[in-house]
Amino acid sequence: MQDILTICNYCGCGCGVYLSVDNDQVVGSYPSKNHPISRGNLCSKGWQLHEFIHSDKRLSSPLLRKNGSLQEVSWDEALDFTAAALMTAKQQYGPDSIGVLSSAKCSNEENYLLQKLTRAGLGTNNIDHCARL
Amino acid sequence: MIDLKELILPKDNLIPLLRKLSKDARLVAPVKNDHGDTLFTAISDLDTTEIDLANQPQASLKPFFLPQQETLAHYQISGDTYQFTAPKAAEDTIFFGVRSCDLTALLYMDLIFSKPAKDTSYYDRRSHSLIITLGCNQPFANCFCEATNSGPYLEYGYGLQFIDLGDRYYVSAGRGKGADLLKKWGYFFCEVQEEDQRIRYQLFLEARGQFNRNIQLAHACHKLQKEEVPEEIWEQLAERCYDCGGCAYVCPTCTCFSVDDKPQSRDSGIRVRSWDACTSGGFTRMAGGHNPVDRSRHALKRRFLHKLKYDFASHGKASCTGCGRCVDICFGGVDITRFIDLLTRQENP
Amino acid sequence: MVGLATSFGSGAMTNSIAELEEADVLLITGSNTTETHPQIGRNILRAVDRGAKLLVIDPRRTDIARQAHIHLALRPGTDIALINAMMRVILDENLADDLFISMRTENFIQLRDYLHRLDLAELAAITEIDINTIREAACIYARSSKSVICYCLGVTQHTCGTDNVQAVANLAMLTGNVEKKHSGVDPLRGQNNVQGACDMAALPAVLPGYQSLEDMSIRARFEAVWQRPLPENAGKSLTEMTHAGKDGPIRAMFIMGENPALSDPHLHRVEETLEQLDFLAVSDIFLTATAKLAHVVFPAASFAEKGGTITNSERRVQLCRRAIPPIHDCRPDSEIIMELGRRMGCPGMDFDSDAEIMEEISLLTPIYGGMHYDRLAENHGLQWPCPDRSHPGTEFLHKYYFARGKGQFTITRHQEPYEKAAEKYPFTLVTGRGSYHHYHTATMTRNSRRLVREYPQAKLEIHKDDCRRLNIADGEMVELHSKRGIVRISAQITDRVKPGTVFSSFHFFEVPINQLTVSAMDPKSKCPEFKVCSAAIKKVNHD
Repeated sequence: MQDILTICNYCGCGCGVYLSVDNDQVVGSYPSKNHPISRGNLCSKGWQLHEFIHSDKRLSSPLLRKNGSLQEVSWDEALDFTAAALMTAKQQYGPDSIGVLSSAKCSNEENYLLQKLTRAGLGTNNIDHCARL
Repeated sequence: MIDLKELILPKDNLIPLLRKLSKDARLVAPVKNDHGDTLFTAISDLDTTEIDLANQPQASLKPFFLPQQETLAHYQISGDTYQFTAPKAAEDTIFFGVRSCDLTALLYMDLIFSKPAKDTSYYDRRSHSLIITLGCNQPFANCFCEATNSGPYLEYGYGLQFIDLGDRYYVSAGRGKGADLLKKWGYFFCEVQEEDQRIRYQLFLEARGQFNRNIQLAHACHKLQKEEVPEEIWEQLAERCYDCGGCAYVCPTCTCFSVDDKPQSRDSGIRVRSWDACTSGGFTRMAGGHNPVDRSRHALKRRFLHKLKYDFASHGKASCTGCGRCVDICFGGVDITRFIDLLTRQENP
Repeated sequence: MVGLATSFGSGAMTNSIAELEEADVLLITGSNTTETHPQIGRNILRAVDRGAKLLVIDPRRTDIARQAHIHLALRPGTDIALINAMMRVILDENLADDLFISMRTENFIQLRDYLHRLDLAELAAITEIDINTIREAACIYARSSKSVICYCLGVTQHTCGTDNVQAVANLAMLTGNVEKKHSGVDPLRGQNNVQGACDMAALPAVLPGYQSLEDMSIRARFEAVWQRPLPENAGKSLTEMTHAGKDGPIRAMFIMGENPALSDPHLHRVEETLEQLDFLAVSDIFLTATAKLAHVVFPAASFAEKGGTITNSERRVQLCRRAIPPIHDCRPDSEIIMELGRRMGCPGMDFDSDAEIMEEISLLTPIYGGMHYDRLAENHGLQWPCPDRSHPGTEFLHKYYFARGKGQFTITRHQEPYEKAAEKYPFTLVTGRGSYHHYHTATMTRNSRRLVREYPQAKLEIHKDDCRRLNIADGEMVELHSKRGIVRISAQITDRVKPGTVFSSFHFFEVPINQLTVSAMDPKSKCPEFKVCSAAIKKVNHD
C-alpha cells in the first residue's frame, strides 16, 4: 500500500489529497493535514475521489467511426486519421476553419501544448475552454 | 497488577529493540513524510526513516483495521460465478508510537466487530497485531482525552506502554504478547527505580493539567441520559453541516460502512466494503424515497447521540476518545466539542 | 475575467484563500460558496465565528445566505443596480476612501457624477430589496478596511456579466478595499484548473501569461521558440465555435476533456453544430455526450494516471503526482497532443516529461518564470506572479500599484436581462451547479455510489407558494418549458428560491436543462446568460 499526494480533480480550491494505491488500484483518498487548502478535510466529492478512476465506463481503446458507428482501432490508426483530417480541413478551408477546445480539467502542461499545437501547428487562434460555463 | 511487568528502556536502546522486533513482524510507526504530514507508515528501513513522536499522526489506526475500501469478493458474470476473495492473510504487525486515545478506539472497535458474530477480516488483522503505545506528556492542540477517560496514560489494553522520562522510557507490559516481548528482549531493559516511579507519576499529573480545552463530556453524557436535547440545538448544528462525512471518516471509533458492487468491466467487478457516514441523508433513506431522518434538521443527531448517549448507556463510556481529529476540520465548525459546549453551557450560562 | 482585467489589469483572485479567515467583512455575490467551493466556505464561516460580518447577494436563499448577517435577495439580473445603489449610499454617507481613490485610481469623477444622477429609491425598486437593507449593507462594507468580495458565476453568467464584474471592482476601489492583505476582489474559479487553462492561453485572444497577441516583440519571442509564424487575428470563443450552426465557419474540431454537448447553453444548437462538422475528434476519460458525436475518440488517462501541474483559484501552481500507470490502453492528453503534433509536422512536440514542458512555459511566461518542478515539490506550490527562481510567489495582488498601473473606474448601467418573464413563460429560470455532491456535467461524480445516493436525480427548486398555487407535490415530475425546449424534471418544494423564480442544475444528462437556456451572451466576455431565462411549469398528465 502506497499513499501518493496529488491535487483534487474537482473544484478550483485545489486540495492536497492522498490517493491510497494497492497493487495499481486506487482504493482510497484522504486529505493532507499540512496542505494549506485541505487542512485535514475534504468535501464529500474529495473523499470519494478514488471512485471514478476504475469505473467500468472508462474508455479503454481509441475509437474510430466506421460505417456510422464507433469501433475500436489502434492508436496509430486513430492518430493518423485525426492528423490527416485536421490537415485536410486546413488545406481545404484555411486554418480558421478548425476549432479547438482545451480543458479546465487538464494540466497546465497539456493546455500549453494544445494551444501551442493550435497556434503553431494548425495556424489559428481558435482555441478556448469552458472558463465561462 | 500482579502479572504486569514494568521496566526501563534507555533511549539509546530504542532503535536496536525496534530492529529486533521488525525482523519478526511488520513495523508501523508515525513518520513525517516529504509533504510535512505525519502518517502511520510501514517502516522497511530504520536507518533511513525517522520515527516522528512529536506530532499527532494524522489518521488513527482505523485504516489498518477497517480500510476505507476493502475488497470482499470478485465477480465474473459469464457463468454466473462469484469468486470470494479470501481476506488478505493478515501480516503480523507491531504498531509503535500509538497514542492512548487511538488504542482506546481500537478496544471499542473490538467490541463493535465482535457482535453479533466476529467479523473475520477485522479479527484476522486484529489478532495479528501488537500495539505499543506512547503515553502523552504533552497533549496536542485539540485533544481532550482526559474528559473521555482515554488518556493521557492508560491502565490496560496495550501490548506495551511507553512513557517518556527524558533519556529513557518507562515501559509497562500488558498481558500476553507484550509480556512475552519483555521476556524475550529483556537484555535491552533495566530495572525500575523508585525515582522513575516518582517522575512518571509527576509527569502524569502535569500532563493532565495541560489540556487547552475544557470539554464537559461526562456532564453532557449524564444530561443526555436524563433529558432530550432542545430542538434548536440540533437545527443550529444541522444548518452548518455540509455533509462531507469528514468527521466520521477521521473518527477512530466511527465504524459505519456500506457494501457496494463496483463493475470494473462489462462482465466483471468487485464487491467492496467502504466507509460510510450516518451524517449523510441517503444513509437512512428507504426504498420509495421515505426518510425517517430529516437531514435538514437532524444531520448530526444520530452521530452525537450514538457517541454520547447510546454507547454511554450500553458500555458506561462514551465512544468519543478525545483525540481531537474532528475538531477544526469541520467545514461549518460544528464538531462534537461545539455540541457539548452548546449542551452544557445552556445549563450553566 | 475581462471585467476584472479592465478594472485592475488582472482577472485573477487578488487574495489568498487563507486570508479570508482574517477578513472583517465578507461580501459574497453570486456564489453558493459552501456548496461549490467548500474550503473557501470553511474560511468564510471561520471568519464569521471570529466575529466578521457576512453579506450575501443572491436571489436564492442558499446555505451561505442562511448564515449571512444580511442577505440581499435581489431580483435575478439586477446586480448592477444593487452595486450602484450601494456606491451611492457610500458617497452620501461620506465613506469613500478619497486618499486611495486619488493615489491609485482613475476615472473617478465620471463615475461619481453618474452615481449622483441616479435615484436611490428607483434602484432599490429595480432590485426589489428594501432601501434600508441596502444602506445598512453598504455601510458595513465601507466602514471596514478588511473587506473582501468573493464572486462566482452568478455574477458573470449574464449578458451584462462584464459590467457586473466592473461594478464590483468599482465598489472595492471606492472604499480602498484592494491592494492589501485581507481585502480584495476574488473571482472563485470553478474547475480545478480553469485558472491554469486561462494562464496557459487556452483562450482565443491572448498568449500564455495574458501576453498580447499584437505586441511585436512578444510575438517574435514566441515565434523564435516555436519556430513557426503565429496567426494574427484573435480566434473564436467557445460559444462562437459551438453555436455556429449549419454552414458555420468551423469545419473540423478537436475537443480535449470538455463536454459542450451538455454544458453549453441552447443545446440543440450545439448538437446541430457538432453534427454537421466534417471532422470531430474528442479526447476524454468517458464516452460523453460530445464524444458520442465524434469521428475519433481518444481514451485519455485520468488525473491519477499522470503528472503535471494545475493552478487553483488563488493562483497557486501545484504539482500533481502520478499514482498509477494509465489503465487499459489510455494515454495522457500530453502524449496524444504531441503524437498529433509530430504527425502534422509541428516542431517542438518532443518533450520527455511534464517538467520539461514547464521549462518552456517558464521561459515564455513571465508570471510563471520561477515555477520550476523542484520548487513546486517543496512548497505545496507557488502563487503567480513568480517571475524567477528566487521569487517566493505572490500572496495577494496589486500591492503598491494595480497590474495595469492605476485602477480604472468604469460606469456601469443597469440593463434588463435578455429575456423577460412573460405571460406565456411566467417563471424566471436560474441554472447553475446545484448540488454539493456533483460536479459540472457529473461525468465523474456519477460514478460514485455514495454521491449518487445522496443526490440521485435532477431537481427543480420551486417556491412553496408557487407549488401550492399550481398544485404540485414534492417529488412530482413536471414539465419545464421555454421558447427553446422542454424537459421533464422532479419538483422540489423549497423556500430557497423566491416565488416566481425556479432553479435547477445541469449535472444530469437525462435532464439537459441547457436546452432551455438562452445563448445570448456578454458581448465582451462571451459568457452566456445561464442565470436568467423565462420558463413555464406544466403538470404532467398521468391519464
